[in-house]
Amino acid sequence: MSADLEFENLVKLYYRDLYRFGLSLTGNETDAADLTQETFYIWANKGHQLQKAASVKSWLFTTLHREFLKTCRHRNRFSHQPIDESAEDLPNVPANCAERVDSRTLFRILGEIAEDFRAPLVLYYMEDLSYKEIADVLALPLGTVQSRIARAKIQLLRRLNETNLPLEQAK
Amino acid sequence: MNTRDAKEILLLYRGAIDDSDPQFRAALDYAKSDPELGQWLQEQTECYDTIRAKFRAIEPPLGLSETIVRKRPIPFPRDWSRIVQLAAAVLISASLTVLLMKSSERRHHSVVGAQEILVTGEVLDMTCYIANNLSGPAHAECARVCIRNGSPAGIKTQDGKVYLLTGEPGQSINAKLADYAAKIVTVKGRQTVRDGFTQLQVEEIRKL
Repeated sequence: MSADLEFENLVKLYYRDLYRFGLSLTGNETDAADLTQETFYIWANKGHQLQKAASVKSWLFTTLHREFLKTCRHRNRFSHQPIDESAEDLPNVPANCAERVDSRTLFRILGEIAEDFRAPLVLYYMEDLSYKEIADVLALPLGTVQSRIARAKIQLLRRLNETNLPLEQAK
Repeated sequence: MNTRDAKEILLLYRGAIDDSDPQFRAALDYAKSDPELGQWLQEQTECYDTIRAKFRAIEPPLGLSETIVRKRPIPFPRDWSRIVQLAAAVLISASLTVLLMKSSERRHHSVVGAQEILVTGEVLDMTCYIANNLSGPAHAECARVCIRNGSPAGIKTQDGKVYLLTGEPGQSINAKLADYAAKIVTVKGRQTVRDGFTQLQVEEIRKL
């Protein structure tokens, strides 16, 4: 297979996932597209250095996240809600809690979660990565990643519950 | 393990993808024996699937993949090891040139006291030999061209000692040595040693 075709196939395989990850990090479609493009640009220049073909997906996500940290972290596009570090009660969330919200609303709610917690949560929901791979992508210890996912998930489910409540109850 | 412990663990459980992860095994077994927990787990898993599907329903802007492919850079192949080798070769060549010039300037002091010896070994193109460890018949043609074009030549004996081969001060013998590239010869000449370099000023070459 030619290098051009190989690159094209790789783009087709992963650009959607990378874009969604970028969108969840930046909250902005243009920035997400730029990050996705930049990630593949870096791949075209440095991808040949990767030893294991099986790690391509993790490499791409790691690179996108690193690029995001370089360029977008301090822009504060979202007004982040801090997550209480103390143990939280597990919510009783009905199975249909997310059914009544659309994808855009879900992304908006996600954007209200602090970035440190949002990135692992997005990888948890969207990508078929193991916890170890998520930890590698974000360069965090495994325990930290799992703890952040758990706390962020609780917050997300709570917010979804609130969004689903009738207006008078939500007040 | 109690129900709360199991819930804390299973909060991260995503379904089939985590089935092989040992951290969930005990909690999953516990959920089988606790109908209420089993129900909670089922709802959690369904909720996970719904949220995942909604997230994945977001589509990138039209034409993004085409733009990425179109703007793909064509990387310049940077073989750093090759670049380092070439830089080393240039540096060595320059050093040898300086040494030869110095040697030429001091010829009366250097060569007068030199010892006449006979050395048998392979004629080397020093640039390729030092930078890339290239020698032998496989490298003969390259060595011949390099020596003819002015690369320093040397001779390597069977015991691994390498001499820089030179002509009379101010006279190049590269054209003559090029014909012996990678061949085993016996050289009669005057040996001088300075700063770790051993030079053999060639008086006679005999092919074995």
